[in-house]
Amino acid sequence: MRHSKKARLIVLATGLALTLAGCGGEESSGGSGELSGKSFTVGSKEFTEQLVLGQIAILALEDAGATVQDETGITGTTNVRKALESDEIDMYWEYTGTGWTEILGNETADAPADSQELFDAVAKQDLEQNDIEWLAKTTANDTYAFATSQETSDQTGVTTLSDYAELVKSDPESASMCAAAEFLDRQDGWPGLEKAYGFSLPNELITEVELGIVFTAVPKGEPCKFGEVFETDGRIPANDLVVLEDDKDYFVGYEVAMTTQAQVLEESPALEDVLDPIAEKLTTEELQELNAQVDVEGLPAEAVAEKWLQDNDLIG
Amino acid sequence: MSTTSDEPQQGDQAAPPDPQSSVPGRTGRRSLAGYLFMPAALAVVLLILYISVSTRELDAAEQNRLALGYILAKTQEHVVLTIVSTLLVLVIAIPMGIMLTRPFARTITPFAISVFNIGQAVPSIGLVAILAIAYAIGFVPMVIALVAYTTLPVLRNTMVGLEQVDASVIESARGMGMTKLAVLTKIELPLAVPVIMAGLRTALTINVGTATLGAFIGAGTLGALIVSGFSGNRPFISIVGGALVAVLALLVDYLAGIAEDRLRPRGL
Repeated sequence: MRHSKKARLIVLATGLALTLAGCGGEESSGGSGELSGKSFTVGSKEFTEQLVLGQIAILALEDAGATVQDETGITGTTNVRKALESDEIDMYWEYTGTGWTEILGNETADAPADSQELFDAVAKQDLEQNDIEWLAKTTANDTYAFATSQETSDQTGVTTLSDYAELVKSDPESASMCAAAEFLDRQDGWPGLEKAYGFSLPNELITEVELGIVFTAVPKGEPCKFGEVFETDGRIPANDLVVLEDDKDYFVGYEVAMTTQAQVLEESPALEDVLDPIAEKLTTEELQELNAQVDVEGLPAEAVAEKWLQDNDLIG
Repeated sequence: MSTTSDEPQQGDQAAPPDPQSSVPGRTGRRSLAGYLFMPAALAVVLLILYISVSTRELDAAEQNRLALGYILAKTQEHVVLTIVSTLLVLVIAIPMGIMLTRPFARTITPFAISVFNIGQAVPSIGLVAILAIAYAIGFVPMVIALVAYTTLPVLRNTMVGLEQVDASVIESARGMGMTKLAVLTKIELPLAVPVIMAGLRTALTINVGTATLGAFIGAGTLGALIVSGFSGNRPFISIVGGALVAVLALLVDYLAGIAEDRLRPRGL
């Protein structure tokens, strides 16, 4: 009896020790320690680029000593923004253009053409109205774009959106297009595009699909010859697609920047020091490359993020 | 089922069952009120939907998605998808069910069943995705996915329905000189109708629900409302879409119920 009592005590002690060890959380390997003792929840939207950006933030924050909860992969801009406003997450990477139209409700046409101006305007308004801070603006411009296969571009001679508008009027059948629900619903998406370039594509020639399907349909040319894409998508070069030039500068700039609760930034001002260097290195080409690694080569977002941060000397 | 000289006579005094009888079980026929309940309830739901859409302030996207013309177009896509795939299921599953219950098919039956099991075991969204990438998008792959998904219930029910026909009834029919084909069409199938129809009703309602996945691969359907509402955080659109799908499913089930009542042989 005494024997088993002792044994039980040992097992209990071991179990307790292991549990406490597990409660310690992730240890950051070296790094700057500017954010040690802090804890954050990082969110993101659901598509590849957002997942990679989310992982970049998470790894950078952890490297600076913080404990980070991963809440990436929330579907839909409005849902992840709601999560930020309701304190479910502390921060997520947003796009300046999305902030201007979708979040702050301004007209697409009123958006400043200069990217820094746009960022400053959005940051000012969001802070005043919603207590949300914008920081660490990158130059990665994930704007909506229209793409087509090299073949279609050669055949129709369409290289700009004005060319596309002409094609819609002269030969609508060969201007068929695929897009996702969000692009078709958003006022700074398809509806605004039709208005800005003065065309109207008949409904039968619009196929509404999940975004990824655009990359299986457009290269084939069936059932659509053109498709909505995001300019930083790695699948564009991978599928030999050609992005049409936005010659009227309709699409608002969608530069990546971090958004966070004003209170969070106040409590941890070191966030800017951690994120600014990242913002500097993150260009459209860099982001396209990162996206390609995930979408085309099939590598996991976290690994891609980690390698990029290490290659750019952003984490220890 | 019409009386023919082949059927055994019950006796000259037998009165045919009253088709207007409201006693269930005796004839399987419902009263007029019974028939009107579901369409009335669905009409009420549609009215409520209509009122809430018209009295609500809608933004630009909601106005587009909840316009009557748009909804009717999506409903049509949905209905066509459901009907075509259900017809294909009938054409595939019932003959297959008949074949697999014949003596000669005893050896291949388990194999055939496993094939159709696969169709249903793969989650419908997975099947749709595979077809969209490997084959094409739009109407045809949706039909293929729906057929693969709902063949099993109808097939299984056809087989069960046919197998549960009393062997002695078949024997006496054969003994009276009926050919195998006559036994099948006049005895086995009519007696199996309730079970087959149950399977068909299941398949139909699954079809209506699963057809919403068409929105992901360019086949439209009422699923487009649900997807739009979700990705744009306009839950009202999703709710309207979801409610319409439910109404459609109940309506389809109701119509199948009427068909079942009509096809069920008297006396059952």
